[in-house]
Amino acid sequence: MNRFALLSLYRSLSRHKLYAALNIGGLAVGIAVFLVLGLYVRFETSFERWLPDHDKVYVVQTVWNLPGSPFNGREPQTMGGLLEQLREDFPGTVGTRIWGGEGAGSVLRRGVATKEDVAEVDPSFFDVFDLPMVSGDGRRALADPSGAIISESLARKYFGTSDPIGQTITASYEEPRNYRIRGVFRDIPDNSDIKVSLLLPLRKNVERDSWYHWGSTHLSTYLRFESPFTARTYGQKLSAFVDRRALKDSGPNASKTETIALLPLAEQHFASPKGGLSSRKLTVLTLGLVGMLTLLIAIVNYVNLATARAGLRAREVAMRKVLGADRKALVTQFLGEAMLTVGIAALGGLILAELGLPLINAAGGLSLAIPYALVVPSLAALVIMVGVLAGFYPALMLSRFPAAAVLASSRAPGGGRAGTRVREALVVFQFGLAIAFMIGTAILLVQTRHVRQADLGYQRDNLIIIRSIADGNVPPALRRAMVEAIRTLPGVQKIALGGDGPGGSGTTNADNVPLPGVPGDGPNLRWVDTGPGYFQVYGARLVAGRMFDPARREDDHQLMDASTNHNIIINRLGVKQLRFASPDAAINKVVGGDRPRTIIGVVENLRFDTPRNPIAPTYYYYSSDPARNYPMIANVRFSGDPRAMLSQIRGIWQRMVPQVPFECDTADNRLARYYQADEQTTRLFAIGAGLAVLIGCVGLWGLASFNTQRRVKEIGIRKTLGASGPDIVKLLVGQFLRPVLLANLIAWPLAFVAMRTWLAGFDDRVALSPLFFVGASLLATAIAVLTVLGQSLRASRAAPAWALRHD
Amino acid sequence: MIRLQGIQRRYVSDAVETTALHDIDLHVAAGEFVAIMGPSGCGKSTLLNTLGTVDRPTAGRYLFGDRDLAALDETELAKFRGATLGFVFQSFNLIDELTIEENVALGLAYRKEAGGQNGGRRARVAAAMDKVGIAHRARHYPHQLSGGQQQRAAIARAIVGDPKLILADEPTGNLDTANGEQVMNILTGLNDEGATIVMVTHSPSHADLAKRRIDMLDGRIVANAMRAI
Repeated sequence: MNRFALLSLYRSLSRHKLYAALNIGGLAVGIAVFLVLGLYVRFETSFERWLPDHDKVYVVQTVWNLPGSPFNGREPQTMGGLLEQLREDFPGTVGTRIWGGEGAGSVLRRGVATKEDVAEVDPSFFDVFDLPMVSGDGRRALADPSGAIISESLARKYFGTSDPIGQTITASYEEPRNYRIRGVFRDIPDNSDIKVSLLLPLRKNVERDSWYHWGSTHLSTYLRFESPFTARTYGQKLSAFVDRRALKDSGPNASKTETIALLPLAEQHFASPKGGLSSRKLTVLTLGLVGMLTLLIAIVNYVNLATARAGLRAREVAMRKVLGADRKALVTQFLGEAMLTVGIAALGGLILAELGLPLINAAGGLSLAIPYALVVPSLAALVIMVGVLAGFYPALMLSRFPAAAVLASSRAPGGGRAGTRVREALVVFQFGLAIAFMIGTAILLVQTRHVRQADLGYQRDNLIIIRSIADGNVPPALRRAMVEAIRTLPGVQKIALGGDGPGGSGTTNADNVPLPGVPGDGPNLRWVDTGPGYFQVYGARLVAGRMFDPARREDDHQLMDASTNHNIIINRLGVKQLRFASPDAAINKVVGGDRPRTIIGVVENLRFDTPRNPIAPTYYYYSSDPARNYPMIANVRFSGDPRAMLSQIRGIWQRMVPQVPFECDTADNRLARYYQADEQTTRLFAIGAGLAVLIGCVGLWGLASFNTQRRVKEIGIRKTLGASGPDIVKLLVGQFLRPVLLANLIAWPLAFVAMRTWLAGFDDRVALSPLFFVGASLLATAIAVLTVLGQSLRASRAAPAWALRHD
Repeated sequence: MIRLQGIQRRYVSDAVETTALHDIDLHVAAGEFVAIMGPSGCGKSTLLNTLGTVDRPTAGRYLFGDRDLAALDETELAKFRGATLGFVFQSFNLIDELTIEENVALGLAYRKEAGGQNGGRRARVAAAMDKVGIAHRARHYPHQLSGGQQQRAAIARAIVGDPKLILADEPTGNLDTANGEQVMNILTGLNDEGATIVMVTHSPSHADLAKRRIDMLDGRIVANAMRAI
């Protein structure tokens, strides 16, 4: 490129400022969206890859084959003593266990407990995880029963600037103990599901009944293998191992209902509990696709407009040829111009991404940063690719035009009918994607709103859940006293203990309920223990029968042994699961085989779990003294300000059991955690989709502008022949409306398949109404009309005499 | 049929004001064939555009029959053009993306009353193409035709709606002698059939085919004479 070529480019850009700004800006926004969403995808797909030799580490999954049971599927937890049994049967097994994790334990200081990410691990932890240490010897620390290692940030929190090595910390996972800090490890990065900041030596919990009980799950077990082959070979022996080891607890062929499997550590983040594509992976794939398609729309637009406008420069090219420019010089000029322009757009995109990242981080709950060492070379490659795409047509086609013919022609070659068709096809493509994005955004927004407002079977506001009351370190007497103290607080309307509540209790229990006259174990139902007033706190709606009555002895299962018939209440799903024709039909029926239970009532389903999971068919016991049972959470119905109520409850807690960390929140907040990920995804999707639509409009505007410019003379002819202003507007708008309407053919099936897949991840979901599709199409059409209307109106107002003179 | 009274047309761009037409008074009777001549830049095309209502005079009155066209807005003028006028240009001004047949049909596209149903319109388009001898090229695109053929197509488009007035701006300017003669024969033939024609031309021989010749200079009519028959 010589000086004149650069000057020509500069003048062209500065002469058509709006065109240049929109065209380069559109590409820049596309690049920014791609960069930001690309960073998100990179973050999500990098989980555990920070760990040296992560590819050698495998999570042991427990795989339940229990169709119809809430347990059915895979979980990354195992029986406590699994590693010991594996070592006995497979000498040389390298493994460790992590028991605890995010908020699982606490650190006590001056008698007050603070929740921390505490975990107990085997001394062999460092044989599996090569956790980067800052100081001390982690391996030796964990071999010492009173040794502990701490993360850098937690050490700073508790020991300030002084050296933590050798200092004592009182930590509690199950019960408080003193530990000596013997090592400091680098903080676990954000892209990890292993949330630990204080590692304590794992004590073998043989005293626990369930430590070696097949069917129970406590902790995470990790194994390390030198190669995928050895892992595979090892994995093939696990079914036989389960059959052998679980014989006592689960009978012969135990592996048919419960087995264990190995999953590479890096795949754990995307593992689906039910198998198949997890909602998290679907989210990441979707957002990645939005980023790529947005960039594609921006590139298509840019190339489309650049090549279209290049046609208008045919005369300039012809003049340059007349003045002696050869094809090589012209090709160099066009490619150079294109790359320079795309380079400006790339730089703009990088700046936009940097400026927009804090906003995106806030919207998506992320902490992304641009890795320039990776991004700059990638952008350079993109500049070359898009530059070649945008410059190739003008470079080759225009430089081939015979100069004399172009100079003699009254009009510039603009690709003719074929060019028009290609451009129309590209409008169809980009608006197809834009409409699909609009449909997707609408459904995401409506679904996320729906789950926040849906009827959960109970009133979700003015409800507080005290989960820490279930802590094993709170004795029953103190639980009773605490419940009574809270009951007397002004504003407290009702309080009840129960085995479940919004956000869950931390435990799930289920068993099979044999049906009278039906052979086999019977259907699987979840069971929940409830204290006095539990259903009243929730305002649960009675569908049939009656609620528990404290005055009736047969309602209280604490007063009876398991083989004595006692009363239960089931939820509406339980009616179907137990094969009753209707709720009324279930009343007074006895189920349970040798552990008989009489159904006295049916309540509406209560959704305490994420809207993604189905509500389990459930039966409820009644305990007159639930404080005796473990673990029961406290459910408080109150009136007034939730913050004031939380503060009052905290006051009682700190007065009565300061040594146990306080875990208490409103039902709204606990449920919000279930919605958070989908809301963040929705926000990211909406931002990406909104910008994609904007870029599409910029492209449409550019094309409309180009087309109107090309058709000025035609407009003059038509007006001379009697076309009115509205006729011209109709003509020009109609020209763009056709591809936009055709775009629905792409958008509707695409959006339908994508959104049906996404909604399938929710048990509680909105219907895929045709209104979403029609609404998005109408909106896209309106946007398209508004985009081209301004220019069409301007063109329609041009004096025909002037238009006829236009070349 | 046409009466222009004190027509002026001034163009203002930046600090420069150009007067293209000075106090033009002109009367054209129905069935006339008027040729306008004069050197380049004398205002011929501006006068023709004013007659064709594609350019508005800065001052003066333009009466078409009893109608004062100055009182019409843009939409009404468009309707007037579509129903009343036919245009023939030096550079044909056919639309490249449309076939010859479609280009001719465009002459009816903006007339609500003309032709009636599609079948009627098609017949009128076919008749117009027949009249100028271009029917055999109906499905071709303009760039596939010679200049003479393109101008004949443009004439077909101008006459397809039976206009009261045909305005021709140097209709032979881009044609060779033979094609030019052919186009002039068509125009005189149309005039003989009763069409009113106003034509701008540089060719004295073509001007001689008109019934009246107007000479212009510097935006003024300097001569206005009937041809002696």
